[in-house]
Amino acid sequence: MHPLEDLSAYLDGELDGGRRAAVESHLAACDSCRTRLAQLRATARLIAALPSPVPARSLVPRVAVPIWLAPLRTLATIGSGAALFLFIASALTTSVTQTSSGGAAAPALAPQPEQAQSDRARGIASAGPSGAAGPAGPSGPSVPGVPTGVPAPAFGVAASVSPPQKSATESDRSAAGTPTPTAVVRADSGTTAPTAVALGAPERAPTTPSPLVWLALAIALAALALVLHRRLRSA
Amino acid sequence: MNAPLEDANAGLIKQARAGDARAFEALAREVERPLYRHVQRIVGESADAEDCVQDALFSAWRSIRAFEGDSFRAWIFRIATNRALDRLRSRKRHPELPLDPPADDAEITWAEPAAPGPDLVQIVGDREALAAVEAALATLPVDQRTVLLLRDIEGFAYEEIAVITAVEIGTVKSRIHRGRLAVRNALVAKGWRGTAG
Repeated sequence: MHPLEDLSAYLDGELDGGRRAAVESHLAACDSCRTRLAQLRATARLIAALPSPVPARSLVPRVAVPIWLAPLRTLATIGSGAALFLFIASALTTSVTQTSSGGAAAPALAPQPEQAQSDRARGIASAGPSGAAGPAGPSGPSVPGVPTGVPAPAFGVAASVSPPQKSATESDRSAAGTPTPTAVVRADSGTTAPTAVALGAPERAPTTPSPLVWLALAIALAALALVLHRRLRSA
Repeated sequence: MNAPLEDANAGLIKQARAGDARAFEALAREVERPLYRHVQRIVGESADAEDCVQDALFSAWRSIRAFEGDSFRAWIFRIATNRALDRLRSRKRHPELPLDPPADDAEITWAEPAAPGPDLVQIVGDREALAAVEAALATLPVDQRTVLLLRDIEGFAYEEIAVITAVEIGTVKSRIHRGRLAVRNALVAKGWRGTAG
């Protein structure tokens, strides 16, 4: 009886001791089974020698990369571009606004020296008849009605930043000894343009962020996109 | 044959089980091509084989925390083999499939050469012979083909093959022998001379 069913297992070394010994004993006496064993061995070698097909693409799933990483990189890139655009747009808008407001203010501010001189002249003229005169400030003439020790130049400067009509009124009020809070603020600020911005800023700030905010956002999103891109490429 | 691989990758396997995705990807890269050549010869079509292997690797990643066996390679080959067999079963529901090969339990005898030809034991490596072997493998019942590939190409032990294919070791032994004999008979039918005993 030929142990045909055991030949492959014998070839593979998968027979236990007793059966292995029985097959070896048979093979020693049976040329036919030795030939069959040789053919099975040759067949197994042929199968093992088959060329290995290679996949056309990588089949390893990229489990190390979260699935949301690529879309997030795209969003960060788009967001960075949008923020950069907003930065440029808001910077241009601000520049145009400041230019236009500066141009409108210039005519109003242009007669300031003359107006100040006019105010001073009026102050001097009105002080003349009354004869009341306090100690003069650095600018020289004192303002009538102002208590002694109150520096006249403060009101003089305040008058200089006001529009002509209003400054005249305020000058009158100052002369009457009733300076308005606005005049005091202007006197403290000492300049014209910052005063105008300070008066307008509380109304525009909540609706229009600074261009620098957009710039900072663009840089932050670009950095995020770069980090995500490197993370995706290294994966 | 597989023990050195398991030893070398023990650290990676441990890290992957702990949730390290990069460790798993390193493991997957090592078995990617062996899995593909195995699955490709089961399903026959390259695109299907690629999908099966990718699905199998992704499934392995999702369930690697549950892996507690001794052989990661055998475990992942089991997943891939099941994917490939599922793909074949789904194909059977389509009318364009070829006729089924002979049943697994069909009687296979030692065919004798009809005409003189080269000795079978002397043609190992011959390109024509390899093409004939490839064609013969494709005609085997899928159960025989699967275990024969796992044994002769991947080098798994019978016990591992039994685990991978979820059958008894006796069945593995029988299928391997029948598969080899069928390939040998196909070569003989091509004209190669079986060495007379």
